[in-house]
Amino acid sequence: MRAHDDVLAGAGGVQESHFPALSGPESGFPELPADGETLLEVRDLRVRFSRRGRHVHAVNGLSYRLEAGRMLAIIGESGSGKSVSSRALMGLLPSTATVTGSARFAGTELVGMTEAQMRRRRGADIAMVFQDPTRSLNPTMRIGTQVVEAVRAHADLDRRAARRRAVELLSLVRMPVPEQRFGEYPHQLSGGMRQRVMIAIALAGEPRLLIADEATTALDVTTQAQIMELLVELQHRLGMAVILISHDLGLAASYAQDVLVMYAGRGVEHAAAETLFAHVRMPYTRALLGAIPLLEREPHTLLPVVPGQPPDLSALPAGCPFAPRCASADEQCAVDPPLTEHEPGHRWACWHPVPDAPAPDAASGDRS
Amino acid sequence: MTASVDAGRHRAGPAFLTSPGMRLVGKRLLLAVPIVLGVSILTFWVLNLIPGSAAQQLLGPEATPAQVRALELELGLDRPAVLRYLDWLGGAVTGDLGQSLVSRQPVTDLLGERLAVSGELVVLAFVISLGLAVPTALLAAHRPNRLFDRISMVVSITGLSVANYVLALLLVLVFAVQMAVLPAIGFVPLSQGLGENLRSMALPAAAIAFPLYCFYTRFLRGDLVDQLQGEDYVTTARAKGIGPWQVLVRHAFRNSAFGLITVVGLNLGSLIGGTVIVEQIFALPGIGQLMLQAINTRDFVVVQACVVVFAVVAVLANLLADLLYAVLDPRIRYGSR
Repeated sequence: MRAHDDVLAGAGGVQESHFPALSGPESGFPELPADGETLLEVRDLRVRFSRRGRHVHAVNGLSYRLEAGRMLAIIGESGSGKSVSSRALMGLLPSTATVTGSARFAGTELVGMTEAQMRRRRGADIAMVFQDPTRSLNPTMRIGTQVVEAVRAHADLDRRAARRRAVELLSLVRMPVPEQRFGEYPHQLSGGMRQRVMIAIALAGEPRLLIADEATTALDVTTQAQIMELLVELQHRLGMAVILISHDLGLAASYAQDVLVMYAGRGVEHAAAETLFAHVRMPYTRALLGAIPLLEREPHTLLPVVPGQPPDLSALPAGCPFAPRCASADEQCAVDPPLTEHEPGHRWACWHPVPDAPAPDAASGDRS
Repeated sequence: MTASVDAGRHRAGPAFLTSPGMRLVGKRLLLAVPIVLGVSILTFWVLNLIPGSAAQQLLGPEATPAQVRALELELGLDRPAVLRYLDWLGGAVTGDLGQSLVSRQPVTDLLGERLAVSGELVVLAFVISLGLAVPTALLAAHRPNRLFDRISMVVSITGLSVANYVLALLLVLVFAVQMAVLPAIGFVPLSQGLGENLRSMALPAAAIAFPLYCFYTRFLRGDLVDQLQGEDYVTTARAKGIGPWQVLVRHAFRNSAFGLITVVGLNLGSLIGGTVIVEQIFALPGIGQLMLQAINTRDFVVVQACVVVFAVVAVLANLLADLLYAVLDPRIRYGSR
């Protein structure tokens, strides 16, 4: 019944919005940056969690560059550090985390900022949408109040102006009858609707970077597509950069311009989406692609998986972290391969890159 | 208890005024009947097992068996227990709880004034304990494991490990004996001025409030920290860029309050009976003191009435907590479909 509303909203096409940013140059949103301008540069980012003398190295020297207005998909298994590295950018990690290295956002260093400095940037520069919209909204607050709170966090607006703006944000994310939804509670909305509210909250501070942390994972496939299309549309209309954190390669291939594959807390392959998927080099990416279930596959056969277990982040072995699970690993892999640009615009970290045009199942298909 | 799905039709107002809410109240009150009935039967039975009769107590150890027997006949104590219970029940249903065996006063008259004293004591204790516990817990949860949190933890654990009669005696020693700022015993009714009334209530209320304060502080602080560290909506709130106090008060506290309400509701019910010792120490003419005296004189009629009152208060307090829940938590709409 709720999904029905989503379909209606999604089917509406690009409707006229009352959102001020969409009409005229004196919009509330920052001007569109010139193409190729670096918005975020992450260098040798490391995150370590310490508890009772035990250290878990969640992010181990992550480096990437994100241009303004682009969508970067960060892909990896659970525990690959994709979510932790992004939360580190917003200072949203628990106090057990130690963040080192560098992350420059529009020229400002984020690592080492005080909580007060970071707070001023949260929502205003970088905003985040989380995985589970059911748990991410306060269950005891009306959704309108939650959006208004985000609006007033960074803009000195009175109650009525903030309310007007919140309703605009809700219509911007294609919430049907936003004035009415305003007074409802999260449990009265469908999952897709809740995620729209989350996006409205994220947009309230007019961020230049939106991090969608598995933002569509908890949704059904139809709703997922609608939310992704909304994100892409907002990215273009508002000139926002988007970091799409996901374990779903299909999602990355369909929507992102750039793809960064993470493994054991570091980047292992990074390229524009079309380059990466046409010329997979890193055996890990290849294995991930091979693990996508296909409809054409014979029924009742085992699903292909990436063999082996992800490494123990509290005791990382020397050398390439993927080597124990890699078919092409040899003694050279005892030396950690750096993530370097081997082909124009294509970086990977491997001594034995996969040659071009293999069959998609080659890496792991023999396990089924 | 299904969450209502008819989105958009109602603004969630005070749910207890809507008809499903009233139905809930009715249902819960009906459920209370067997509970109170059971309590009264159990009390009556147990009281009958206690050796020594009111007649014996009234007449003293010198009385002859014949005298005792005569008084028992007069008081109707010779009749079978079942019949006496049914008599009592018949009266209780019509609001007549019988006459005290000792003073021959109607029990309802005795209870009225006593209940007011105990009620005031309990309300004061709750106002004090909650009024102090909420800010303490917020301050402690704001910076967990820092100085303020640690101090409040030590205070709380101390308070929880000291029995309230020990605390009562300590309070008397310090404030009444050494500093001589507050009266040690006695009760000044409200009719003689609020100030004097509160002065006479200050120490007993503090003796009851302090352990409660410690308990609520610990409970709320723990729940707040759990919310702050474990709940995704807190991360959302922080990601908006709002300040830490706003996250704590508007988001975490709002959700922690529900657990607190349940605990307070449960305490409120049991506490009216828990004032017995403190009333005894401070010589407050409350219902606890009345019951203790009645037990000593084997005045079963009065004991019976006190116990039933305790049961009714406990049931009502729990109902109140549940209703408060429904009013405050938009997810709970009792009985709607």
